Formats: sequence, structure tokens, C-alpha cells
Amino acid sequence: MTLIKKYIPLAICFLVGLMTLASYYVPNKTSENYLEVMNKWENIVAGFAFLLGLFSLFFSHYNKIRRKVDGWGYSLFVFVGFLVMVVPALMSHGKQMDGTSLTGLGWGYRFMFNALSGTMFSVLAFYIVSTAYRAFRIKSAQAGVLFAAALVLIIGKVPLGQLMWDKLLGWTHLGVTQIVQWLMDVPVVAGRRGIMMGLAVGGIVTALKIIFGIERQYMGKD
Amino acid sequence: MKNFLEKLLKIDRRLIFLALAILLVFPIVKPLGLPNLNLGSEVKSLYERIEGLPPRSFVLMSLDYDPATRPELHPQAVAILRHAFRKNLRVGILTLNAGATGLIEEIGERIPKDIAPEKVYGKDYVILPYQPNPVAVMTQMGMDLYQIYDKDRDGSPIRDMEVFKGIKNVKDMQLGICITGTAMLDYWIAYTGDKFKFPMAGGVTAVSQMGYAPYLQTGQLKGLVGGMKGAADYETLINHKEKGTSGIDALSLAHLMVIILIVTANIMMLWLKYL
Repeated sequence: MTLIKKYIPLAICFLVGLMTLASYYVPNKTSENYLEVMNKWENIVAGFAFLLGLFSLFFSHYNKIRRKVDGWGYSLFVFVGFLVMVVPALMSHGKQMDGTSLTGLGWGYRFMFNALSGTMFSVLAFYIVSTAYRAFRIKSAQAGVLFAAALVLIIGKVPLGQLMWDKLLGWTHLGVTQIVQWLMDVPVVAGRRGIMMGLAVGGIVTALKIIFGIERQYMGKD
Repeated sequence: MKNFLEKLLKIDRRLIFLALAILLVFPIVKPLGLPNLNLGSEVKSLYERIEGLPPRSFVLMSLDYDPATRPELHPQAVAILRHAFRKNLRVGILTLNAGATGLIEEIGERIPKDIAPEKVYGKDYVILPYQPNPVAVMTQMGMDLYQIYDKDRDGSPIRDMEVFKGIKNVKDMQLGICITGTAMLDYWIAYTGDKFKFPMAGGVTAVSQMGYAPYLQTGQLKGLVGGMKGAADYETLINHKEKGTSGIDALSLAHLMVIILIVTANIMMLWLKYL
């Protein structure tokens, strides 16, 4: 059992990992053919991963309903939402338009998903404004720098702010757009580049650990 | 005075919500028409890039945003599409975000109605179906796109379509534009832009715009449209004002409100502490 559960998956991971890595640096016909096959497989596996995720989601919410845990009523909406979108999708063969008219799926997307998703995201604006008033306290030099940078960016990024800057601080001959550009080009790039390099090094190390079998969490507990 | 300020600092947040709602509704119902004077340099770069492309060049647009980020990103997509069609470019539209399919349907519906009624599907533009694995698509686009996209979203074979004449992979295309509210643009740069020397540009939300500054500086991104302001800038450049421009007034007032609230709250806090 150890052979099937442990060594064969590790060997597959090692071989596929090395070959995929090598194919990035060896642009010949053989490596392209290999990548083409892998790309098709990845797409298929990703489709199945969606299904797996769906079953996992259903299982989790089914258990919540069965055990009547706190807020189990919300779990019902997972199934209701799923059926409301999937049944029309099956009936319309996944098409959102039938000629010039909307199918049930198209209607559900445009008038339910669109509105609900937009509403959820726009609610954030209200919380941000409320938090800005109630929680943004400039109690340290760092908070002061953060506020000053945010202030200039907010002013520089909207026409009303630009107008106000020109009216109030036009005499300084310092354009807010130039200041925003400097912020973008120097401190932001410096900070962001450091984060990106850290992420890249972390990604490479994790990938190598998986390829060489040091990191095995993807294989499960057994 | 002290009691009053303390009460004001602990004001019911629903009152702030109400104030913001009123502030947002007013300019949406009756736009103030504030002039958009300072256009972003990175928006101009993308505009000039498209402006400089020869007619019938192929532009690949990956529209990877969903309804949550629609107000910022949809106007960008429409403005760029309008510009590309005006320049007589061929456009391939695809998505790697399952939530974007309906928005692409909407664009597909609008192209023959008002974006570019003279353009013909299959000859001037094409809409490809959703694919679930972004990295596989991006890598494959650099080798042979027909191995991953053999049909369009309606199931018609794409290989013989006129829009794909002379196109095998991204090396035959002149520009790629990814409009997204996620990290998809980073992937496009890494897996397609850098690897296959494919010129990439992007459209992102205002909040993530700053994160792309390094790519702009190194030339890995040829242009960037950020948030609703970026959409308004692009609409100004193509001289066709739409949702980006009309939304910018509401955005201006909301931003101003945030500044006023932060400053007021901090002045009150200092007053209570030192006076």
C-alpha cells in the first residue's frame, strides 16, 4: 500500500515537476508537445477540481443543516442558489443568450448574480467610509506618513481633488499629478518590488520542496 | 464641548452610511460635469500603443472581472474595445474567470448595437469560451492556440474564421490586454508576456493599480488603466464619454468625504486630548 499511496505519487510529482520546469527553458518541438498535453490535462483536471469543490461544499453545508448548527438556515441558500442557477443552465445547455433574448441562465446572471454580487462589493464602500471616521487615528509618525500619502493619492486621483489642489496650492507650482507619479515610481515601486521578490523566492522554494518530496501535504494525511 | 465631541466621535455609523448614500446618489442622478483635466500617463501609453497599431492587427482581450468589480472595469473594457474597432483592429475576447461570462455576453450583445455596428463577428472579432485553468491557457497561447481553443463560445470552429487569418499563437498578435480585479494580469505577464515576448497591457481596479507600478517601470506592461478614473481618462482620449466619466463625479465626492471625515475625527481627537 505504501508503494501506491506514497512512492508512486511522489515519483509522478518529481518527474512531471522536473519535466515541466525543464520545458520552460528548452523551447523545442518535443517540449512544446509535452506542454500541450499537460495543458489539456490541466484544463480537464481543473474541471474535475470544480466538481470536487462543489461536492465538498454541499457535504459541509448538508452537515450543518443536519446538525442544525448556528446559522444553518443560511446553508439552505447554498442549495437554493445552486439550483436557481444550475437548473436553468441545464435547460439552456449553458447558453445565456438564445438569439437576441436571454435564456433562464442569462436572466439569472444579469438580474440576480449581477445585482447581488455588485451589492455585496459596494457595501464595502460604506464600511470603509464609516471606518475612516471612527478608526483612522493619526497617533504615530507612521500613521501620519500613511495619511499624508493617502491624502495626496486621493486628491491626485480624482478630478475634484485635482481642481482643489490647483486652486489652493497652485501657487507652489507643484502639480499633484507629478507628486502622485513620484509616489508611484519611487516608494511604491521599491516596496512592491521587495514584496514581489519575496513572493517569487517563496514560490520557488515551495515548488522545489514539492518536486523533491519534502513538502507532502497535497497527498493528504495517510 | 467635551461631551459633545465625544458623542460626535461615537456617532451612529448608520448616519455616516446615510450621508454617503445621499452624496453618491446626487451626482449619479445629476452629474456635476467636473472636467477631467489630468489624464494618467499610463492610460495615455495604452491609448498611444493602440493608436500606433497598423490596421487589422490582432488584439487579444482577456476580460477577467465579475459583477463585483464591474463599475470600475466594464467601462474600461468598452472604451478600449471601441478604440480598437475604430482603428480597424481585429479583436479576440476571452475570459478565464467563470463569473465574467455574463458580462462578456453583454459586450457581445452591445458590439453590433452600439460599440461597433459595422463590425462582423468572425471577421473582425471573436468571443472565445470560458476555460477553467488560466495557466494552461496562457502557456498554450504562446504555442498553438487551436490546441486549447478549437471552437468559439457558440461552438463554431475558429480555425477557418477570417479573424484568425495568419494567427497561430500570441507571437502573431500585436497586443494583449487583461482587464481584471484579481491577480490574473500578473499571470498573463509571467506566463505569456515575458515568456513569449508578447506586449501586454492591463486594466485593473483603483485599489490594485499601485501594485503594477514595477511592471510599468520595467516595460513589462505597455500601459495600464486604473479604476474608474482610468476608464474616464480613456473615454476622454477617445472622445466618447460613458459610464466611466459619469461615475467619476460620485467618486470625487466620496473621496472628498473620506478625507473630511478622517481630518475632522483627528482634530476632535486632538482637541479632546490636549485642550
